[in-house]
Amino acid sequence: MSLEMLKEHETVRTAPVSEAEALVDVRGLSLWYGKKQALYDISVRFPRNQVTAITGPSGCGKSTLLRSLNRMNDLVPGVRVEGEVLYEGVNIYDPRVDPVAVRRHIGMVFQKPNPFPKTIFENVAFGLRLMGVKGSELEDRVVEALKRAALWEEVKDRFKKESGLRLSGGQQQRLCIARAIAVEPPLLLMDEPTSALDPIATQAIEDLILELKERYTVVIVTHNMQQAARVSDRTLFMHLGVLVEEGPTEVIFTKPKHPYTEAYITGRFG
Amino acid sequence: MNRTLSSPSPEAFGTDPWKTRIDRTFARALVLPLVLAIGLLVLLLGDTLYRSVSVQVVRADEGPGRTYPFGLAATEVLRQELLARGYTEEEARSLLQDPTERRVLFLQNRVELMWNTQEGPFRYVVTGLRDERVADFSLLEGLRRWEELKAGLGEGERLVLNPWLDQSFLTRTPSRSPLTAGIGVAIWGTIWVLSLALLIAIPVGIGTAILLEEYLREGTLNRILEVNLRNLAGVPSIVYGLLGLAIFVREMGLGPTILSAALTLGLLGIPVIVVTARESLRAVPESLRQAAFALGATRRQVVFRVVVPAALPGMVTGVILSAARLIGEAAPLLLVGAAAYVPFYPTGPLSEYTVIPVQIYLWVSMNIPEFARVAAAGILVMLLVLSGLYFLALYLRNRFRREW
Repeated sequence: MSLEMLKEHETVRTAPVSEAEALVDVRGLSLWYGKKQALYDISVRFPRNQVTAITGPSGCGKSTLLRSLNRMNDLVPGVRVEGEVLYEGVNIYDPRVDPVAVRRHIGMVFQKPNPFPKTIFENVAFGLRLMGVKGSELEDRVVEALKRAALWEEVKDRFKKESGLRLSGGQQQRLCIARAIAVEPPLLLMDEPTSALDPIATQAIEDLILELKERYTVVIVTHNMQQAARVSDRTLFMHLGVLVEEGPTEVIFTKPKHPYTEAYITGRFG
Repeated sequence: MNRTLSSPSPEAFGTDPWKTRIDRTFARALVLPLVLAIGLLVLLLGDTLYRSVSVQVVRADEGPGRTYPFGLAATEVLRQELLARGYTEEEARSLLQDPTERRVLFLQNRVELMWNTQEGPFRYVVTGLRDERVADFSLLEGLRRWEELKAGLGEGERLVLNPWLDQSFLTRTPSRSPLTAGIGVAIWGTIWVLSLALLIAIPVGIGTAILLEEYLREGTLNRILEVNLRNLAGVPSIVYGLLGLAIFVREMGLGPTILSAALTLGLLGIPVIVVTARESLRAVPESLRQAAFALGATRRQVVFRVVVPAALPGMVTGVILSAARLIGEAAPLLLVGAAAYVPFYPTGPLSEYTVIPVQIYLWVSMNIPEFARVAAAGILVMLLVLSGLYFLALYLRNRFRREW
């Protein structure tokens, strides 16, 4: 199936999310980097307090879609967006919306752990300080975030002195998660958060994601199919910038309706 | 092709002794220039050190040419010298107690520590402004003929092993006589000029680097400035001197003052600071900026809370290295009026001044041979300051080195 045919194709939806359940509602989103179109007319809803995985082969636009949800793509020169992304019913691409304010509501964790070259405490405190939190409240919320990111036990006696860069890769990634959730964002975006980690650290992060969904809505990009199966409630399958199929994870993995999805999941292409 | 070994012996992999040998010779040949360069540097430094020490016979203008034991206070040495010159106890005390008289006395007479004298090692002598050199020998010759010279000493003469670079050299003002010439005024001139120049160059240079690297990263302006900055960093410093002469000294009427020198050197330092600061900003990984943006930081917050702190060690190193370059500049300052003879310490940005390299240049061009020794001592001061700065840069670089 060529790109031309894919573009004509209607997204296959199983058990679609209702408008009331959705925290984020993407409507007809297209995106261009300069002249190159990266996303084609994507419509999808991300339900509250669930983990939604975005999968697909490399270059399919998974990360681009994720970054459209907190306007991180705005930082790329020459980017152009059409369509709407409703967050709690508000279109974040409305000209009156300040992208900086949007990002304060939405946390993000990146592919490679990227702690600041500051102490563990200062890393987690960064977002809180931007919001003007000070004094003992700052300290309480940093500790709370470290606890929720399952890092507290490992760093509690040195978190004020040691640099975040001195931690192991897996610990660094949990530090980044702590940094992102310290400001209590209702939505947490994760861009292949375990792709730079070993299996044990990956396990820890996955366990953490399952705990986080109690309080947060999580959208995770992964090209690891097993990971999508383990952590997510719903799965999106994308190819060449087109949303091919979406539905509950068990349906996507056991009874995919689109031949592409099936081929990818069974490992026949990708 | 089937690539199995013909026999199970180590040589079966095949050998090529010729190629191995050529390889090894080539690697050795590459070391040669390094050895040569280090050898030359050591030779130069050794020569300068050797020239900065000499054996001298000096005839005192006044007094008996006595020496005084190590450990006495300078005032006490002068008091004893005055007594030896025939002053009474009363006169000596009043000369040393009256502030004006005392100041004149210390200006005209330097208390210096000599490594060796006719009366034994490490003793003080008092050098007067009008003392006369009878003979000056290089270290080896002087030591060889020490006893002979000692036996031939006349009335009021003293024999000394003189380290030209000593404490009083660092505080003395320039002089017509090499015996009393010092680098004090030039050191203070350098401190004044350099601090003012950095005060101008650091904010402008770092600010430009931040603007270009963090705000105007893409764009024609940036590309044009990039090329021009690199060119400016390579412009001969004398061109900056001409510019400084035309604009600061003449047009703005600042005259040959510390301020016009600082403005000229500041201009000279800006391109280097911009280039090194940009490089250290560029070395900050993009992922850190992304992380800060994702937390809802504005660009200003990203730049000043994350990027600049992370790039600071590199920027500081760059500033120190450019300071080291500015310290050594003589050419532009000769043009904007570093004066030949400044007997007074600078008192403010509008004072006349001289700086260490200009002072050295002037000493080298003097026609009294001992000024070569004074110049050697000056060069050693300069090298000490420079290596101090380089070690500081090295220390900062290692202390704050980061793994991303």
